[in-house]
Amino acid sequence: MASRTSLMLRGLSPYYCCCCFFNLSSRSSSSSSKLFFLGKNSNPTIRYCSTKATGGASSLPPPDVTHLAKTARISLAPNEVEEFAPKIQQVIDWFGQLQVVDLDSVEPAIRAESLHENAREDIPETFENREAIRTSVPSYDDPYIKVPKVLNKE
Amino acid sequence: MASTFFRTIQTHPFLLLHPTAVFRRKNGVLRCTMRSTQTQTPTQEKQQSPQIKFSPQNPNKTFYEIPKGYEAIIGIETHVQLSTLTKAFCGCPCNYGSQPNTSICPVCMGLPGALPVLNSKVIEFAVKLGLALNCKLSLNSKFDRKQYFYPDLPKGYQISQFDMPIATGGYIDLDLPVEFGGGHRRFGITRVHMEEDAGKLLHSENGDYSQEITSPTLQYVFCSFMLIFRGSMVDLNRAGVPLLEIVSEPDMRNGMEAAEYAAELQRLVRYLGVSNGNMQEGSLRCDVNVSIRPVEQEKFGTKVEIKNLNSFSAVNRAIDFEISRQVLLHSQGQGDQIVQETRLWEEGSQETFTMRKKEGLADYRYFPEPDLPEVILTKEYVNSIRNTLPELPEMKRRRYEKMDLSMQDVLYLANDINVADYFDATIARGADAKLVANWIMGDIAAYMKNEKLSINDVKLKPDELAKLIASIKSGTISGKIGKEILFELLAKGGTVKGLIDEKDLVQAIDPVEIGKMVDKVLSDNLKQLEQYRGGKTKLQGFFTGQVMKISKGKASPGLLNKILLEKLNAKN
Repeated sequence: MASRTSLMLRGLSPYYCCCCFFNLSSRSSSSSSKLFFLGKNSNPTIRYCSTKATGGASSLPPPDVTHLAKTARISLAPNEVEEFAPKIQQVIDWFGQLQVVDLDSVEPAIRAESLHENAREDIPETFENREAIRTSVPSYDDPYIKVPKVLNKE
Repeated sequence: MASTFFRTIQTHPFLLLHPTAVFRRKNGVLRCTMRSTQTQTPTQEKQQSPQIKFSPQNPNKTFYEIPKGYEAIIGIETHVQLSTLTKAFCGCPCNYGSQPNTSICPVCMGLPGALPVLNSKVIEFAVKLGLALNCKLSLNSKFDRKQYFYPDLPKGYQISQFDMPIATGGYIDLDLPVEFGGGHRRFGITRVHMEEDAGKLLHSENGDYSQEITSPTLQYVFCSFMLIFRGSMVDLNRAGVPLLEIVSEPDMRNGMEAAEYAAELQRLVRYLGVSNGNMQEGSLRCDVNVSIRPVEQEKFGTKVEIKNLNSFSAVNRAIDFEISRQVLLHSQGQGDQIVQETRLWEEGSQETFTMRKKEGLADYRYFPEPDLPEVILTKEYVNSIRNTLPELPEMKRRRYEKMDLSMQDVLYLANDINVADYFDATIARGADAKLVANWIMGDIAAYMKNEKLSINDVKLKPDELAKLIASIKSGTISGKIGKEILFELLAKGGTVKGLIDEKDLVQAIDPVEIGKMVDKVLSDNLKQLEQYRGGKTKLQGFFTGQVMKISKGKASPGLLNKILLEKLNAKN
């Protein structure tokens, strides 16, 4: 079970960093609302976990914020690394509480819920307001979206 | 550089006696263009930076022999773009070639609040292909997020399947082409999984756009602070289009086998109708992993990935080039220069070159996709799909083989599902399989090639081809006449009976009528008759031609010759 939890944690940390990324770089309105979206999405999960957990401190190693920032493609100043470390630690601790839950008699679940018949039919549906999407693109050079060229760092 | 190369050759006599021998293919079409040391001038040396060069003449019908003492290990990852009407997780239409950035919505643009909903057709196609590849299907599987930071996938991750793919542990059977020595092969399939495609990234250079080869399978770690504004262009129409990734076992041993594997996959997806399998459009993309090892060594060598393979012959030649490059390095004691990297195949120079070296361990940080539920297949669902599977290429080939067709015929007919359907429909109308195969592979194939048509465009339908063959067999028309009206039927359509009646083509099989014609020819050509009877028997052909001429080609050749000989040799 420990490995399963750490898998989730691995999932969570980039999530968290994504939030940082969009928060720090909030250049466009869509980025900042993405933060809201992610936050909204992950908060209930965390609350859910903490109510279920029976307490106990995390035995997981502290986060390597510099490495996390690298994997999330963001640059952090040293003071920001210091600032984020305890916050990320907090998230890890929340998940760390799950370690103590006894799951020996519980079947492993692939997903939290399994709704049946959740796939859709293969019927095209054109999204009407595409113009709004295009106008919200920071740099649109009709008909292309202009982006910075990513070059390899040597 | 070249002199080092030659010195090493001398110290490794097992490799070759002459430099060209390393790269020699069986028929010698492919050759090494290294210059000999004697003729080398300083200028030439400068131009000679790449050590190995293949000349690209007639690249298709070549077979490369791996130098003795070495073995190549090849595995292939194939991405197949599914021919669904909509994208994998949103209802945006998938139309190849539509105006850039028109098939987009909040889901495939990665906008906040948008949630993916799986297209049921993607599961159906995955199950079809999984079954066709003899895989074990996972009744429960899930989607995962693979971190991918590149502007062609705006979410910042690719929805893929990681530890629980929909299908695992299968195999594919294929027949190698006769010209490569033939033989049957079975290659293992490690897994098949569902995922989404990325958009297209183009770079503007001199006003032309060139497409960058990117993919979420690239195993490199990029850093965000290396963003430099140079103006790349993104078209997100393809972002979110469903793909199936098929991973093979490392079972191939040379470029030809790998190309045949890819060709069989293309046949399979086309037979199944899950993809158009078009390599030029990128609907079928192959990334190959190549490593070499001395035959006595058990451990695999360092593998190198090759991308940018847009045709089967590119797969073949790129792999053979790569094998020879690695063998050369290894034989020179520079095996450590074979590093884990991605190389691109360059069609112009017929070489692979380094795209990017691996910078660090791949860290995709996969985690379960929280926005999508588990994928559950019921046994009933799987069985219902199994029951609707068409006859697959391998089954077709084995069936054709039993019809006493040559392997050449079998491979040709089964190669294209439309040709196979045409063949099947013709023999279903009672025509002899070998005769039908001959007509299709001969004149019909030639006509299609000349007119650049596919078999579906041909106006001659299987029903009429069967009637044409029957008319010849029954003696109603001669084979020669049959051939003539075939081209008319191919181009204009119509019925065999209609054409025979219209042109009065029924073969003359009445001995009395033919006898009359022979008599007329003999009496018109008394001089030749005299010469014949004087011993110049070669003149028989002349008389046959004359009779054919007055019969307008309709005289039955067998009957004509019989009657002619009788009359020629008869006493006055």
